[in-house]
Amino acid sequence: MIRALVLLLVLLGFQPAMSHGETLSLSGPANVVAEDVPNDVGGQVMVKWSLSPDDRVLKDGSHGVIGYVIYREVLPTAAGLESGAETPAGQGYELGFSDDFDYEANQPVGSVPYSVNQFLDENVDAGMTYVYAVAASGVGNSFSPLAVADKPVVAEMQYLNLGKLWFFIIMMLISIVIIYFVFYAKRGGTIKVRPIAGLEAVTEAVGRSTEMGKPVLFVPGILDINDIQTVAGITVLSNVARTAAQYDAELKVPTARSLVMTTARETVEAAYLGEGRPDAYNEDNIYYLTDEQFGYTAGVQGVMVREKPAACFYMGAFYAESLILAETANSIGAIQVAGTAMPSQLPFFVAACDYTLIGEEFFAASAYLSNDPEQLGSLKGQDVGKIIAAVLLILGCLLATLATVVPDSKPLRMADMYITNNILGEDGLVPNELKVAILDGELEQLMEEDQDAQPAIDGGGN
Amino acid sequence: MTNIDPDQIKVILATDCGSTTTKAILIQYVDGEYRQTHRGEAPTTVEKPFADVTMGVVNSVTEIAELADRRLVDDDGRIISPATDTEGCDIYISTSSAGGGLQMMVAGVIAEMTAASAKRAALGAGSIVMDVIAANDGRRPHDQIQRIRDLRPDMILISGGTDGGTTGKVVQIAELVAPAKPQPRFGSDYSMPIIYAGNKDAREAVSEVFDEGGFDLQIVDNLRPVLERENLGPARDKIHDIFLEHVMAQAPGYEKLMSWTGAPIMPTPGAVGDILQTVARLQDINVVGVDIGGATTDVFSVFEKTFNRTVSANLGMSYSISNVCAEATMPNVLRWVPFDMNERELRNHVKNKMIRPTTIPQTREALMFEQAVAREALRLAYKQHKEFATTLKGVQQQRTVGDTFSQQTSGQTIVNNMTLDLLVASGGVLSHAPRMHQTAMMLIDAFEPEGVTMLAKDSIFMMPHLGVLSSVHPKAAEQVFDRDCLVYLGTSVCAAGQPKAGKSCFKYELTGDRTASGEISGGEIQLLPFEEHETGTITLSPARGIDLGEGAGKKVQRSVRGGTVGLILDGRGRSLTLPEERSSCQATVQGWLDALDVYKEETEPVGV
Repeated sequence: MIRALVLLLVLLGFQPAMSHGETLSLSGPANVVAEDVPNDVGGQVMVKWSLSPDDRVLKDGSHGVIGYVIYREVLPTAAGLESGAETPAGQGYELGFSDDFDYEANQPVGSVPYSVNQFLDENVDAGMTYVYAVAASGVGNSFSPLAVADKPVVAEMQYLNLGKLWFFIIMMLISIVIIYFVFYAKRGGTIKVRPIAGLEAVTEAVGRSTEMGKPVLFVPGILDINDIQTVAGITVLSNVARTAAQYDAELKVPTARSLVMTTARETVEAAYLGEGRPDAYNEDNIYYLTDEQFGYTAGVQGVMVREKPAACFYMGAFYAESLILAETANSIGAIQVAGTAMPSQLPFFVAACDYTLIGEEFFAASAYLSNDPEQLGSLKGQDVGKIIAAVLLILGCLLATLATVVPDSKPLRMADMYITNNILGEDGLVPNELKVAILDGELEQLMEEDQDAQPAIDGGGN
Repeated sequence: MTNIDPDQIKVILATDCGSTTTKAILIQYVDGEYRQTHRGEAPTTVEKPFADVTMGVVNSVTEIAELADRRLVDDDGRIISPATDTEGCDIYISTSSAGGGLQMMVAGVIAEMTAASAKRAALGAGSIVMDVIAANDGRRPHDQIQRIRDLRPDMILISGGTDGGTTGKVVQIAELVAPAKPQPRFGSDYSMPIIYAGNKDAREAVSEVFDEGGFDLQIVDNLRPVLERENLGPARDKIHDIFLEHVMAQAPGYEKLMSWTGAPIMPTPGAVGDILQTVARLQDINVVGVDIGGATTDVFSVFEKTFNRTVSANLGMSYSISNVCAEATMPNVLRWVPFDMNERELRNHVKNKMIRPTTIPQTREALMFEQAVAREALRLAYKQHKEFATTLKGVQQQRTVGDTFSQQTSGQTIVNNMTLDLLVASGGVLSHAPRMHQTAMMLIDAFEPEGVTMLAKDSIFMMPHLGVLSSVHPKAAEQVFDRDCLVYLGTSVCAAGQPKAGKSCFKYELTGDRTASGEISGGEIQLLPFEEHETGTITLSPARGIDLGEGAGKKVQRSVRGGTVGLILDGRGRSLTLPEERSSCQATVQGWLDALDVYKEETEPVGV
């Protein structure tokens, strides 16, 4: 908190004064290194330095250094410097960071509070060469001499984020699997999709309506057409409409959004046309009620109570109205089929409806109903992806648990670290040497502790 | 028809007028129980030149009279009734399937709902369903009309709509039938009987449609008053009435025959269904019966008091044998044959059997092949039966949150092999197999019973007679069914699950008239001697994952009775899978056949 305040002061209060400040006897930071941030589009440079010796708490409780100010010079390529090439001795100073550097005339690229020894410059252009310098700032608008980086840095763009190579590999694997299954299905291969009771029940529900001489009610949720659940609901509506056209059942679709109404009308019309029953299509049966959540709910309830549909479908995004609708339809003896990806509403639908499509089942409806090889292949490929994810999850959990239980096992710790940092993290294919060194250090320390503890135990035993 | 006190009935004469043979049996009250004492057979005489069914009946009854030394037919050629000590019978009853039996067309609004109920009613009454017309059968109205016009059913059953439900769709169905003007199969001078068993609100409108003449509309209660319940009784009764009044009355000699009988003449399959229902009800068991014929295979089942019957029109052992081979595929047939056979010769054999249906196998190989075909025919017929015998569709479900991941659609099959208690076989290939072991093996391979199941066969096809008898004297029917009709083959104990080959599948311990204990391995089948009169208790301890009736791995104790074959212990698992590789499959099947002594009496070397 204090650090943040100090930084604020540095940025707001002291910055104008800084430009008019003068160099006092503060010791400057050392070993300034500027490095291109790997695996980015060339928009970032990381600057690191060693803290100033004056970066400590003084006797009066104040800090000798209140922050570090970072300056940057663009090095023209005409200077003949290659990326990463060492700056010829003294050349950098000649380009701006001279001994009589004018803090007033030069705007810093950023500043950090005391005790911080790095700064990420996110405002660089790819392909440009920069030289960085850091000065410590103290009380009274004082500055240390500039510490200039030994080497200039070129902000480079990488075409591949090698840190996420595993992500790339897994994506490629899933893509290949999807493509394989798509071609497999196209060649006539059988892709078995387990029976989804809710979708199987569509014919049954519409049949019931036909036998009972009652309409079919389809509720496409209360969100607009930009919601993926509404889109999935419209897919199911197409199938319901086809069945209704075959059975010559009356289909009613009250909507809560005007765009959904338009989409539903076109979908139902196409379905009736596809079944050769354009005469049976009635545009007025697909109508807009209101955007208001409970106004819409009351309207749909009214339809239920007055017309007593024998089958009710709820396919889309639902909130508090889910149970109200489902219970009302239950009371009139309708077969109900619900489908939603709203976890909080699923228990209500499961308890009150005859059949419920749960999350993924709802989104798989399109492939399931159409039996289209491309969609089925894609579905199968995604399932393989989920299996890979599940295996990694279980493996990771097991390794993490084992690594905690057996902390001195190097293979376990390495595997745990590899999954965490390389597969799931951004370290790429090869383990980070620094992290491996840290791990080795920790393991050595554990071994030493064990060795220290051993004689004491033995001695106690004797 | 006569009304006789069942207690006064001591001598019963029953006939079944089949298409080719009229079979007669005599049942008498002997030593305090009803027993079938004699049987006679004579060619059916419904076709020209005789054109009088009673001639065949009298001939078959005369044969019995000679065997029983009891005068049953008087000088006028009539059956003598009531009985005295030396002559006549107390009641004469008959069934008939002559002339193709009862043939019906049914219609409903939705194929899986009211039309399915109508089909169940028709099949349950013993008819053959020629076609099912429904609003969603995928045919255009003009195609439907053409189809109705082409068929010549004995009667039409129309259903559709719940009471208070759709009227328009039901009238639409009627409007398909009326302009088609279907002609009855027999007799051009009488009106086509139409039974309407649909929405009561549509009765008037339907009547108006059929008003124009040429139809005899009979209205009965809706067979689906609500979608949650079937009410098939009134429609079935009406079918029987019309069968007698219209169909039978048109067939040669049936009017005379009807005047002789003490109970209404029933269609043969309907009578078989009745006796199975009676037995299931009286003994509180689940029963499956099968009658495999030359052209069709009938499967009957009673599970949880619900009766179902299916007729697989293209599965049979002579006229339909080609279709069985085509539908099951030759590799599937041949997997049951433990030696190599020339496929070309087999195809010739199949076609010969089709055009010469009365031939019987002359070699062991031919017999084994025919029994392999029978296995596939039975398997396919049972599969069709399972698909038809379902819970009602279109029924509202009651759920709890616990059902989240176990939701099932309605319309699931009610056939559960694990709860099956009695499996009854009839039909030439089963009843007349040289060894009972062959019948038992065919039944187990085709039906794949699970848990403890009694196997039996109706050797002289007495079930139709007893079906009619059950409507007059259920007690006599049950006693004869149990003692004389069925030949008990034995009890099968079959493990459900997938046991590992060579590993323990279940352990058994038999106590009672015979004691035995041991272990059955996965893939193994064993036969224990257990004579027909013997009974006992078997305790079964299945391995993990194996179910014998009480759940996977749970101990089971059941009463068992012996039979002519014995006690069959089957550890092959369910569903039954055979090795893909031919030689391995042959070795496996040979092992099973040897274990059950299926072809023991045959000593000829194997070869074609």
